[in-house]
Amino acid sequence: MTDIQQIVYVVEDDEAVRDSLELLLKSDDKPVKAYERATTFLKDYSEQMAGCIVLDIRMPGMDGMELQKKLNDRHSILPIIFVTGHGDVPMAVDAMKEGAVDFIQKPYREEALLEKIEAALAQDLEQRKTLDEKQEIIRRIKSLTPREHEIMDRMIEGQANKVIAIELEISQRTVEIHRSRVMHKMGTHSLAHLVRMVLSVKNLIDAR
Amino acid sequence: MTEVVSENSEVTVLLVDDNPQNLKVLYETLKDKGYRLLIANEGEKALDLAQRHQPEVILLDIMMPEMDGYEVCQRLKADPETADCAVVFLSALDDLQTKVKGFSLGGADYISKPFQSQEVIARVKTHARVIRLERELQARNRELQGDQNRILNSISEGIYGLDAQGTIEFANPAAGVIMGCPIKDLIGRNFFETHFATAAQSPTSLPVNATCRQGIAENQRDIRMLRADKTGFPAEYRSTPKLDGDELHGAVVVFRDITVELESEQALDEARELVQEQRDQLAHTSRLTTMGEMAAGVAHEVNQPLTAIANYARVSKRMMAVENPNLTLLQETLDKIEAQSHRASEIIRRIRRFMKKPATGKEVLSVSVLLEDTRQFAEVDARNNDGAIELVIPDELPDILADPIQVQQVALNLIRNALEATRSAESALPVEVSARVTSEGCVRVEVRDHGVGLAEDAEENLFLPFYTTKDEGMGIGLSTCRSLIQAQGGDIGFERPEEGGTRFFFTLPVAIPSDTV
Repeated sequence: MTDIQQIVYVVEDDEAVRDSLELLLKSDDKPVKAYERATTFLKDYSEQMAGCIVLDIRMPGMDGMELQKKLNDRHSILPIIFVTGHGDVPMAVDAMKEGAVDFIQKPYREEALLEKIEAALAQDLEQRKTLDEKQEIIRRIKSLTPREHEIMDRMIEGQANKVIAIELEISQRTVEIHRSRVMHKMGTHSLAHLVRMVLSVKNLIDAR
Repeated sequence: MTEVVSENSEVTVLLVDDNPQNLKVLYETLKDKGYRLLIANEGEKALDLAQRHQPEVILLDIMMPEMDGYEVCQRLKADPETADCAVVFLSALDDLQTKVKGFSLGGADYISKPFQSQEVIARVKTHARVIRLERELQARNRELQGDQNRILNSISEGIYGLDAQGTIEFANPAAGVIMGCPIKDLIGRNFFETHFATAAQSPTSLPVNATCRQGIAENQRDIRMLRADKTGFPAEYRSTPKLDGDELHGAVVVFRDITVELESEQALDEARELVQEQRDQLAHTSRLTTMGEMAAGVAHEVNQPLTAIANYARVSKRMMAVENPNLTLLQETLDKIEAQSHRASEIIRRIRRFMKKPATGKEVLSVSVLLEDTRQFAEVDARNNDGAIELVIPDELPDILADPIQVQQVALNLIRNALEATRSAESALPVEVSARVTSEGCVRVEVRDHGVGLAEDAEENLFLPFYTTKDEGMGIGLSTCRSLIQAQGGDIGFERPEEGGTRFFFTLPVAIPSDTV
């Protein structure tokens, strides 16, 4: 579990809007970091960033939609709230399809924006927690010996100890020892929990 | 001899004497000299022959029974048909009294009896020639008079001949028609009193007066003249002095009624005004269309300061909610609110100015200020089109004389087109707006894009109304631009730079210092 501080990243080219939003969020005790250009933000970006992005959809140079695509390419999970102008709803819809959490139309009410920011931060926390959990599972899976890994796969498939022993041509007793090591290393006592844990990271493992 | 015949061939000489002997001598003397000779032995007969043949010369005896030579001469001179013939008296009477009486009755000459044939021949020859020349001269005179009358009669302008006091000595038929009365009623009247209502009050300031009195030619249009019935009409006239050497004899006045002319001029002016009105109307429509197209961008542009204001206001409230508010910080935030509200109203001001209906008329304008304002306006579009605008204006550019809104409309139109062209070519190069002075005393503004360039048939169609290459365009943009620029004495066009893209330009006349309003 990481303890990275959540920050609201504001990317907005209009100086007045950027400055006022920064002040507003600070007055609400939110840590804020503001960027004038999408490219500058992209340069600063790292996987370690936590929080959310309040992103102006229209900007000269790289616009909000482009930045979203670039971040998706880098598997960013930072939630994005798009700030749109009048008549940009079709663009916002496209942005939502690309995974943005929400959008808000200028000029907005502070409460509405803060609500959306709170929701985005909660989602980020949740995602980050899940991600941390998954990473823990993967770390544990990685600590298994090849033989233990093989036995775990068969356990998940529901093979009985006897079947495993015959197929691997080892004694049933040996299977039992491996089995208890797997359960210990994976930090669980129930086969059902083990199955759930492994399945939850299946995509991540397959992707490697 | 033939020569003599031909010289005298058409000359008729009438010989009048009651004495047959004398007649015979005269006849003998003058025959073979080529004259047609007529003979009469008494007064009545002489008159009758003279009536019928109009002789050039009459040799007339004074002492005759019944009617003497004096009476014959008198009657000849009284009859216009025979008045011009030369009467040469023949008489033995040779005293001064007789000669004087003869001359006083119109006689041309006198031959004393007994006469010498040489003298008779010489005198007849002289008088015959004089009369003949005189008759030719009269014939020529009549011809000229006829020509002159035909000319004067056929001219539609009225012509007056005035003496130095302004009395009408001559008037042509057109003068009668214009003044609405017969020519004879005009002749002899005073020009000034007849045709000007103010003749009595200010005689010297009247038209033609200076020509009559000082010999100065005049030419005026749209003066008020009176007809014979004292109704007025607008007139144009030219007056030239009648000079005989250095001596002034009055004036010749040529004038015409310009009522119809003024009416058609007014109709033309009205038509021109209508065209101008419609041009302004179309320009306005075009501006509204442009604003319609820019609405989304404009709304966005206004929303920026509004968003900032809302944020700052909320921040200010929070600052005030704490126990010991930081007044300095609060002040700063309120200043920011103020600045943003100015920013919003500036955008709205620019839009309202642009949408204003009637054109404000020509003003002396700074090209750089105008183009900078237009650039900021077009920024709205630059954002939508992901484009940029670069302004290159030399420091010492002279002012122009033009309608600011219409020039801005043209510049905005060209810049927006350039931005669109740049976007469709997916070029990252900015639209370049530049200005410079041309050798023709104009300021030339150029808008250069790096877009796909114009179609080949652009020359023929581009500035035509309702020609458009855009899906949503109405095709009134460029045609309106052209009519606006041309109406301000400028020109508009485009070029295809070698490196690609398009360069549109327009020119406007430089304001000369006296234009300053």
